[in-house]
Amino acid sequence: MTMQFLSLQYYLAVGAILFVIGLIGFITRRNMIVIFLCTELMFQGVLINLIAFSQYTGNLAGQAFVIFVLVIAASEASLALGLVILLFREKNTLDADAWRDLKW
Amino acid sequence: MDALFAVKYSYLIPLLPLAGAIIAGFFGAKILRGQSHWPIWIGVAASAVITFSLLFGMMGLWHDGKPMSVSVNWYTWIQAGSFKATAGAFFDSLTAVMLCVVTGIGFLITVYSAGYMKGEEGYFRFFAYLGLFIFSMTCLVMGNNFIMLYLGWEGVGLCSYLLIGYYYERPSAVAAAKKAFIVNRIGDFGFGLGIMLIFLTFGTVSYFGAGVGTHTGVLELATLPIDQLSQIPHVNASWVPTAMKWVPFLLMLGAFGKSAQFPLYVWLPDAMEGPTPVSALIHAATMVTAGVYMIARCGTLFVSNHAAMLTIAAVGAFTALMAATIALRQFDLKKVFAYSTISQLGYMFVGVGCLAPVAGVFHLVTHAFFKALLFLCCGVVMHAMHGDLDMRKMSGLKRILPKTNWLILAGCLALSGFPLVSGFFSKDEIIGASFGLSTFLGVVMLFAAFLTAYYTFRLYFRVFQGPLVVVPPPHDSHGHGHSDEHHNHEPMLMILPLVILAIGAITAGYINFPATHLGDFLGTSPSFSDSYNMAVAQSAAGPNLAEGMGHVVAAETAHGPQISLLMIVSGLISIAGIALAFLLHLKNRALGDKLAEDFGPITRLLEGKYYVDEIYQALIVNPLHMIGEFSYRFDRWIIDMLVNMAGWIVQLTGYFLKFSTQRGYLQGYGAAMLLGLAAILFLVFMH
Repeated sequence: MTMQFLSLQYYLAVGAILFVIGLIGFITRRNMIVIFLCTELMFQGVLINLIAFSQYTGNLAGQAFVIFVLVIAASEASLALGLVILLFREKNTLDADAWRDLKW
Repeated sequence: MDALFAVKYSYLIPLLPLAGAIIAGFFGAKILRGQSHWPIWIGVAASAVITFSLLFGMMGLWHDGKPMSVSVNWYTWIQAGSFKATAGAFFDSLTAVMLCVVTGIGFLITVYSAGYMKGEEGYFRFFAYLGLFIFSMTCLVMGNNFIMLYLGWEGVGLCSYLLIGYYYERPSAVAAAKKAFIVNRIGDFGFGLGIMLIFLTFGTVSYFGAGVGTHTGVLELATLPIDQLSQIPHVNASWVPTAMKWVPFLLMLGAFGKSAQFPLYVWLPDAMEGPTPVSALIHAATMVTAGVYMIARCGTLFVSNHAAMLTIAAVGAFTALMAATIALRQFDLKKVFAYSTISQLGYMFVGVGCLAPVAGVFHLVTHAFFKALLFLCCGVVMHAMHGDLDMRKMSGLKRILPKTNWLILAGCLALSGFPLVSGFFSKDEIIGASFGLSTFLGVVMLFAAFLTAYYTFRLYFRVFQGPLVVVPPPHDSHGHGHSDEHHNHEPMLMILPLVILAIGAITAGYINFPATHLGDFLGTSPSFSDSYNMAVAQSAAGPNLAEGMGHVVAAETAHGPQISLLMIVSGLISIAGIALAFLLHLKNRALGDKLAEDFGPITRLLEGKYYVDEIYQALIVNPLHMIGEFSYRFDRWIIDMLVNMAGWIVQLTGYFLKFSTQRGYLQGYGAAMLLGLAAILFLVFMH
């Protein structure tokens, strides 16, 4: 069976779109959970790039790397959500601006 | 056989006291507490047993005509390029004698200390330091290379520092500890340089290399003529003349520091701040004799250098005389004996400097007995007098300290060289040797002997004879007064070691008289026999000075009639000194006090110790303090200011940025990162 692959540009386009959606969300939203979700979106955009290039060059290292990143992202996500819950309990709001005074 | 057995387990000699020190140090504070002396007692006693079996075994072999000198290596300690230092020991008669002095007297003093230090704060600390000291000192005397010697040398210096500063809440004790350490550093600097020069020249730091007679170690290489040395690959033959000129002086500097000789003697009187057993063990019997041991051990490096030998003899004689005169007008019992120790060490240096190392080591052994005894007796007095040692405040103590009276009398007789007591024989040999070098030197030594007898018995008659005067107990408000009548000032734990020491102080002279047992035994040490042969060869070759030295060598081995005449003279001189002290300090004390008044300026000069401390303070310490003060201020106000300025600039910048860019909005940071990244990418791809 022969497999027909899409050319590299499509993958990169999807990755870039995901990344930019995440970026815009990160900059415009103030809800901490949404901000966090947006960073995850940016992650996935980058990972699609990795897989695409891995496929393109025939080097499996990129794909293996992706697995590692996903695992670490998952554990980091649980940690971050835990933090968000703590922050919520403290101020009873999810608004990131509520924590502005941390800069002092 | 027995000796070889002891050699096989020789590594236990330093390690057992070290193990004791570790146990006492780590478990003393909480678990052992008042029993902290046990690990040290056991460790030091065990290593004393090994050393004495070594000594007797070696003497047995010597009687069989097979004197032993053997080098054992336990393991390679340092290996870097051609530099190699092994952890190992060298055993010959000199090592055995020194080891027995260290562990034997060390053991007696640890026993005494348990009585003396009873109930002191930090009891375990004292014994841990004591064990560490015995470890270092045994390393020093049994090491088979200069690095082991240096290890022990610095180790005993450290223990000396720790023990002088034992009462660290007393500022004077802390100052004395620092002084001892710093003055010793001056000497050790020279000593370290000497060892480096030895290595650079001879390519090794081992005393006897692969063994005696193989001419692979420093001390035997030094005996070889230069054309033979240039055949040996690791010897830098072109440096040998320079090294033979300077190495003795550099090593000598270390010896003068450790053994408290002029001009580095100033630390020893102050070191009396330490507990009395420490004064006895470290600052009288063992550590301070390390310099004498080192010069005796390295005889072959010194003998061919006449200037160095003369310097040693001259410095020793000058110190002996100077310290003896200072001791005339000291009032603190321990200070008198401290100056006396300096003076007696001067005698030992005269011994080794006059090419009579046997006499030097002989005096070292007898001195270890009687001076340890005298210091420990001071400790008994100190306890009875509530810590006061001013002899103006006490008199006639024989009534309350009857046992100590006899013990200290034995020590005083030995120190003053009373006929047929140990100090008499050993001092006499040194004086005989000094007459061989120069009559002037001999007369100086005889005069110092007279002073010694006088100041020793001044102390004895003032403190132990005459009407009873005691120091009243201090009036402490919270006093739980243990009344003097019920308090035993002479517990057996303290008196028993003193009895043994007193027996030694009386009889130790007979190990080298009338038959020169000690001399013959020590003569089997390659250090002694090689330097003797060198000296004989030089005196055969002939120029002026070597003749005198050769004569000494001959006299020392033959014990001619000259020595016997000298014995009568020095015996009379000692008795004269004692008689004068009897007259001025017992029979007619008022006359003695009046004489001191009449010679006011001299009295004050002696009481001020020739103002040497003040001179050092003005010429060395104060300028150094000023440099330090200046450096401190420069560092504080200039350097620190510049460094802080860098910090302040950053802080200031940050402070303003808080109001402009760093506003606390997460989104703002995200946007800034994005823009920054975009700018960098833009710059990168523009090129």
